[in-house]
Amino acid sequence: MDGVSYQRFPRVKIRELRDDCAKFELRDTDASIANALRRVMIAEVPTIAIDLVEIEVNSSVLNDEFIAHRLGLIPLTSERAMGMRFSRDCDACDGDGQCEYCSVEFHLRAKCRDDQTLDVTSKDLVSSDHSVVPVDYSDPSDYESSEQSRGIIIVKLRRGQELRLRAIARKGIGKDHAKWSPAATVTFMYEPDIHINEDMMESLTIEEKKQWVESSPTKVFDIDPVTQQVKVVDPELYTYDDEVIKKAEAMGKPGLVEIRAKEDSFIFTVESTGAIKASQLVLNAIDILKQKLDAVRLSEDTVEADDQFGELGAHMRGG
Amino acid sequence: MNAPDRYERFVVPEGTKKVSYERDTKIINAASFTVEREDHTVGNILRMQLHRDDNVLFAGYKLPHPLQYKILVRIHTTSQSSPMQAYNQAINDLDKELDHLKNSFEAELARFQRSF
Ligand SMILES: [Zn+2]
Repeated sequence: MDGVSYQRFPRVKIRELRDDCAKFELRDTDASIANALRRVMIAEVPTIAIDLVEIEVNSSVLNDEFIAHRLGLIPLTSERAMGMRFSRDCDACDGDGQCEYCSVEFHLRAKCRDDQTLDVTSKDLVSSDHSVVPVDYSDPSDYESSEQSRGIIIVKLRRGQELRLRAIARKGIGKDHAKWSPAATVTFMYEPDIHINEDMMESLTIEEKKQWVESSPTKVFDIDPVTQQVKVVDPELYTYDDEVIKKAEAMGKPGLVEIRAKEDSFIFTVESTGAIKASQLVLNAIDILKQKLDAVRLSEDTVEADDQFGELGAHMRGG
Repeated sequence: MNAPDRYERFVVPEGTKKVSYERDTKIINAASFTVEREDHTVGNILRMQLHRDDNVLFAGYKLPHPLQYKILVRIHTTSQSSPMQAYNQAINDLDKELDHLKNSFEAELARFQRSF
């Protein structure tokens, strides 16, 4: 009864990799997979973010809910998130959402005691879990900036003003609220395949070649200073704007260049907020997508109910 | 004020089935699958994978309304297969593809980090 497999075997090539940014090529698959990965990275890979704030004292210029909102938007290191529970599924704290399996507690105490304005930043948040802390954006190789780096500003206090609060951070996904999205940007583009009709190109004068090359809003083509031939400098700069094709037609040279999007090759750019490493974000997205597919499998009772229906149907058709 | 709760978009309500199946009453080997709390992410990969199956005559999905958090997947197959078989096959193939993708990505990650 098992059907033939129509499985594909995608290939990956990494071009650039930093903790917060990855650029890679994905080949031998289609746009639906590329887009599903993009959508999952943005909206369904979990992170940890502040979700509940109890304010003890707030004499700052910002109101309580304004501060609570700002706290929610601070990215927290979330390597733990995949293994954590969602508060709504947590049976260790039934609905309270404040146990160690599904939450992390933070405290913040700040008071300005002199005439200089005090910046209250993400670095003033004290975490109950050393693995879940506000993301540090200072460059570790740059000694001076890390000394001075003060994190993300939450509020500024003048003499006598005070902020004291307790915050609960929980696991969540971008679909629920954008504060949980680990992705700053995730984009992919089709790899362009550019063919210049060399014979036709040679029928152009150097002046015409220049005009044609310059008709592209991005620097895709250039003229070789020695041979005066038009060459493709960087096909990936092409934005599928069709300008060079229209220009060729206007010059009476249709078919001068042929540009096609390779339908099974994609170039991804993944930028993380810092909550998880960009490479881990991709891997987590694959895992989440697998889990989603697993969840949409037909349940045993659905199949059984249909089997009975099928027999009945066959009986009726036979009779 | 009357906006639905945000979690409504991804939490299947109690007593509701994640996937329900309904045969077409007029055409044999045609059926509709209602998948609760899913969207284009799953709908589109399923549809495209079903199109790779030679026994699938028609496969399509729709998100009926932005505030109805479900998708409908409709499949029509030849007599060599059945909508249920094609649906299961598509999920299995996608699952294996993602396994392969994960392994490729991890291998490439190791190779890339070694070369630095
Ligand atoms: Zn809990």
